[in-house]
Amino acid sequence: MSRFFATGSDSESEESSSADEITPKATGTTFNKNKEAFTPNLILCCPLRFRFEELTNIIKTIRNAMKIRDMSKCLEEFEQLYRAFLKSKTIVDKEGVPQFYIRLLADLEDYLNQLWEDKEGKKKMNKNNAKALSTLRQKIRKYNKDFETEIASYKENPEQSAEEEEKDDIGSASSKSDDDDDEGITAKSLMKKKPQEEEKKAPEASKFLKGAADEESESDDDEDSEDWGSDSVDSGGESEDNEGAAASLAVVFLKKAQDGDKQHEPKKDGRRKRHKKIEQVEEEVDEDGEAEEGGWEKVKGGVPLVKEKPKMFAKGTEINSAVVIKKLTEILQARGKKGTDRAAQIELLHALSGISNENNLGQGILVKIKFNIIASLYDYNTNLAAFMKPEMWKKCLECIDELLDILFENNNIFIGENIAEDSENLAISDQPFRVRGCILTLVERMDEEFTKIMQNTDPHSQEYVDNLKDEGRVCGIIDRLLQYLESKGSTEEVCRIYLRRIMHTYYKFDYKAHRRSLGLQGETKSEQDQEESEGEDSAIIMDRLCKFIYAKDRTDRIRTCAILCHIYHHALHSRWYQARDLMLMSHLQDNIQHADPPVQILYNRTMVQLGICAFRQGMIKDAHNALLDIQSSGRAKELLGQGLLMRNMQERNAEQEKIEKRRQVPFHMHINLELLECVYLVSAMLLEIPYMAAHEFDARRRMISKQFHHQLRVGERQPLLGPPESMREHVVAASKAMKMGDWRTCHSFIINEKMNSKVWDLFPETQCVREMLVRKIQEESLRTYLFTYSSVYDSISMETLSEMFELELPTVHSIISKMIINEELMASLDQPTQTVVMHRTEPTSLQNMALQLAEKLGGLVENNERVFDLKQGVYGGYFNRDQKGGYQQKQNYQRDQKGGYQQKQNYQRGGYRNQNQSSY
Amino acid sequence: MCFGPFPLHQTMASRKESAASGSSPLETPVKQIQIDGLVVLKIIKHYQEEGQGSEVVQGVLLGLVVEDSLEITNCFPFPQHTEDDVDFDEVQYQMEMMRSLRHVNIDHLHVGWYQSTHYGSFVSRALLDSQFSYQHAIEESVVLIYDPIKTAQGSLCLKAYRLTPKLMEICKEKDFSPEGLKKACIGFEIMFEEVPIVIKNSHLINVLLLDLQEKSTVADKHELLNLSSSNHLEKSLQLLMDRVDDMNQDIGKYNTYCRNLSKQQQQKQQYLQRRQQENTQRQSRGEPPLPEEDISKMFKPPQAPPRMDTLLIAGQVNNYCQNIKEFTSQNLGKLFMAEALQGHSS
Repeated sequence: MSRFFATGSDSESEESSSADEITPKATGTTFNKNKEAFTPNLILCCPLRFRFEELTNIIKTIRNAMKIRDMSKCLEEFEQLYRAFLKSKTIVDKEGVPQFYIRLLADLEDYLNQLWEDKEGKKKMNKNNAKALSTLRQKIRKYNKDFETEIASYKENPEQSAEEEEKDDIGSASSKSDDDDDEGITAKSLMKKKPQEEEKKAPEASKFLKGAADEESESDDDEDSEDWGSDSVDSGGESEDNEGAAASLAVVFLKKAQDGDKQHEPKKDGRRKRHKKIEQVEEEVDEDGEAEEGGWEKVKGGVPLVKEKPKMFAKGTEINSAVVIKKLTEILQARGKKGTDRAAQIELLHALSGISNENNLGQGILVKIKFNIIASLYDYNTNLAAFMKPEMWKKCLECIDELLDILFENNNIFIGENIAEDSENLAISDQPFRVRGCILTLVERMDEEFTKIMQNTDPHSQEYVDNLKDEGRVCGIIDRLLQYLESKGSTEEVCRIYLRRIMHTYYKFDYKAHRRSLGLQGETKSEQDQEESEGEDSAIIMDRLCKFIYAKDRTDRIRTCAILCHIYHHALHSRWYQARDLMLMSHLQDNIQHADPPVQILYNRTMVQLGICAFRQGMIKDAHNALLDIQSSGRAKELLGQGLLMRNMQERNAEQEKIEKRRQVPFHMHINLELLECVYLVSAMLLEIPYMAAHEFDARRRMISKQFHHQLRVGERQPLLGPPESMREHVVAASKAMKMGDWRTCHSFIINEKMNSKVWDLFPETQCVREMLVRKIQEESLRTYLFTYSSVYDSISMETLSEMFELELPTVHSIISKMIINEELMASLDQPTQTVVMHRTEPTSLQNMALQLAEKLGGLVENNERVFDLKQGVYGGYFNRDQKGGYQQKQNYQRDQKGGYQQKQNYQRGGYRNQNQSSY
Repeated sequence: MCFGPFPLHQTMASRKESAASGSSPLETPVKQIQIDGLVVLKIIKHYQEEGQGSEVVQGVLLGLVVEDSLEITNCFPFPQHTEDDVDFDEVQYQMEMMRSLRHVNIDHLHVGWYQSTHYGSFVSRALLDSQFSYQHAIEESVVLIYDPIKTAQGSLCLKAYRLTPKLMEICKEKDFSPEGLKKACIGFEIMFEEVPIVIKNSHLINVLLLDLQEKSTVADKHELLNLSSSNHLEKSLQLLMDRVDDMNQDIGKYNTYCRNLSKQQQQKQQYLQRRQQENTQRQSRGEPPLPEEDISKMFKPPQAPPRMDTLLIAGQVNNYCQNIKEFTSQNLGKLFMAEALQGHSS
């Protein structure tokens, strides 16, 4: 809202409260004749007048109070005056401080000083008055500082100012509206008054229109002349404000009175010109315009309605391309300017396109206009962060569609960003049209807006689904543009549009291809389904597009994105090896930290998808490694761009938050975080539990997965263990079972109804994944069991093991052999009896402990030596070093001995066993 | 770990009087401690009821000094105070207890305190501070350390400790810097002195015990012959290892300190040399020498790590080692005995 408008409505609201007071005066004095003639009961009030009247009223009271020395009243009134003055600040800013105000201030100060000096008089005053006096004195001193120059000038020649003021008083009281050229305050005040009058009058006038049509022309004339007045005198900025207010109001009326809007729009371009025109065509235009106005006048009374009815083209003008282009540039010049009504501009452009269509001005112009319509649709929201309204966006979508239609139909249109404005060829139809503009940018912007809309829609609402349905149209447009550009565009453009296409493809699971690969179940489906499955596999499309980009692209970013999308797509469709190889070949892992955040998010998504893919394929270790980085940070949500973390709220300011919000991935592209965590935890479990069992006493053992350990600890801290509820609890419970080598329990915790619905059913090939999992659990449980309980066995038959873990004998054999080869299990296989014979060479826990202690003590001694070294200083150095060397040797020797001890033990054990065996 | 019961100065005053009336102040005022059977039982009972696991129970010892021996005739437990009852006034509690005991004609002189221990880990800063304040206020006071685990294994383990006069002096000066400790010539061996304990029962109780001994069966002595050792040893080793780790860290700290110090010394030397050279040059040129600057300000010596903790850790490690040694020698004996028995029976 403009300042002007604000004051206007302000005065209106106050006017009602003090209407009684003002009305008689106003009606009696301020109207010019012809207005009075048809608006006898009109409550007219110009803000300036009203304000000043208010001020003068207060001033009068103050003067009265001064006369009777009522200081408290004086103070009260002064405060009121101050407030009133503040309210009228906008006017004062334009008009300058009114003289009567300055006069009062000066007088008041003098008067107060006088009172202050008068000691006796002060004594006589009652307490309240004295208090008020001192406060008022202080206040006015402070306040007057702002008006020092004015007061000084007033004091220099109080006479003139007084005169002026009187004149002003008279001026406000008498009708002087005719002498527009009058100078000074009066003139200005009236000038200000007029727009207000006009604004008041517009609805009123239209009300009267039907009844008194003959008077209308008169009123119009009058108004026009008034308009002239305000136009000519007002400064540029002011008029803009004025326009802005009108424009913003016009939005309200946009739907009801389109032509009204259209017509008032060109006002920006040249008001005066239009006025001249208007005088010619006014009559007829106004008639229907006014009729319509009469319809919508009730919506808002008293707002500055622009009554002028501009027309696109003057009547009778021959509409040819030159005129249209001129008009177009005229409209476009207003673009981006402050106070330009964007909605109206769009309407205007639409109308223009209609006109050019009607008049068959050729496709060139149409294309040009379409470009501009789309551009101004985008312009509608000035804020980049805000998203377009879906309706607007849909309009935009249609426009682009139409534009594409035109482009496809007419092969002789060249478009491009590089075509200079003046080398455009819009009209001459026998040459190929050349139009400046880039359809690719428009489509990209449209796509971005779509993403924004999706980001800003509640993902759990029907609205989201509705919006998502438009994705098909977006894809359609991209496809069409792709075709277009393939024939016409440069490689760069083709790359860009390819990337758009890829971006819309990579995250979608190709069910058709999946079904087909499962064995042609699609045949029994309905015709539509069959039709759908006719299309190319997304894998082939991805391959084609990506390969083109790999070959042709010269910007690193597009290629990076394409690679990541390609990997993602591979991973999504369980083509693990292709995905992995592509990832490794691209060397993205090395330099992804230099990429911009959206690409990093894409990278994270790809890594996660890769990990999940590896998991599905049973590559537990690869899955774990791929997911480790994302999961260990605990910020998976943020890293994948699927939401902001709450705890960061304090750290970032609103600006950053906005930026981060813009990076979010729309909901339909999200990766299920629970699935991700579950996959990670289960793979960590499969790795960690056997490892823990194997290195129970190793002081230097490292955690494979911190996150997993954290979950275990959380589980241990629980005072009461009920049956597991959440996914994490399930995994923790399963881990505990696995620790004991109890694979059945572990299995039942990992794969059950709850987990199925939460996690496993989300995979496309659920059954395979589940089978793989069971198998892994059995194997790892077997390993854990052997690690944990080998010390209590002398020997164990493989058959028993295979029964226990429901694995085939060869599998058990291979697992145990692997363990023996890796020196994880000190045992040997006895072939004839199919048993594992334990060597019993692992030290007991006490021995382990003692070994650890010995190691630690070694460290301690070494440290001590170092201190000793320092103490010895230079002299002892030589001698000492020798000694130390000797000690180290000794230590080495001891270590050897330790090793020797183990070896010896081994040997002894073996010997013992040998003896035993031989004695049998 | 919380501090033990507080020594009360009021008691100290009365104590001093009696001490003054007694023999002349000795080098170590207590040569022997005589404990009433009642006190032992009360301590054991206190632990059984309140201290579980590694929880530590503490209490106040009451008694009197007779010539060079300290007789502990009674005690009372100190409540476990948790974080949440802040307004619990320990001093008030102690005073009340002692006043009440006095009313029923029990010795009410404060002579020390007792504490339970977990696998012999009691050498700590808290104990040191606590015992120091005791000995500072009441010269004869002792700390009784009760080891419930060993007791459960069949041999009553109750030990009385006092700080050595040397350690007392150091603690008084509160100088735990490396130099201070070096000057005091203190090692972990001479931080605490153990005072021999005699448990004394009244004749009537002795008679009763003898009477009961005849009546009871022999069955309750199994623990003594328990052969399993690994559990206890493992725990001890674990604790020992933790201490060794701490020690290692401390040594590391001390090491860096030493290195920093020597580096700084070198820098200082270099600086001085340079300054001297410059001065001689200036002198030869006839210019006035550079003004003396405060070297100690330019080279602030690094903060020396306090060494008391290291000493305590060493003491604790020593303690563990003693324990383990004792335990293993006992166990070896038992094993040999068992072997002999087996050989005999088979």
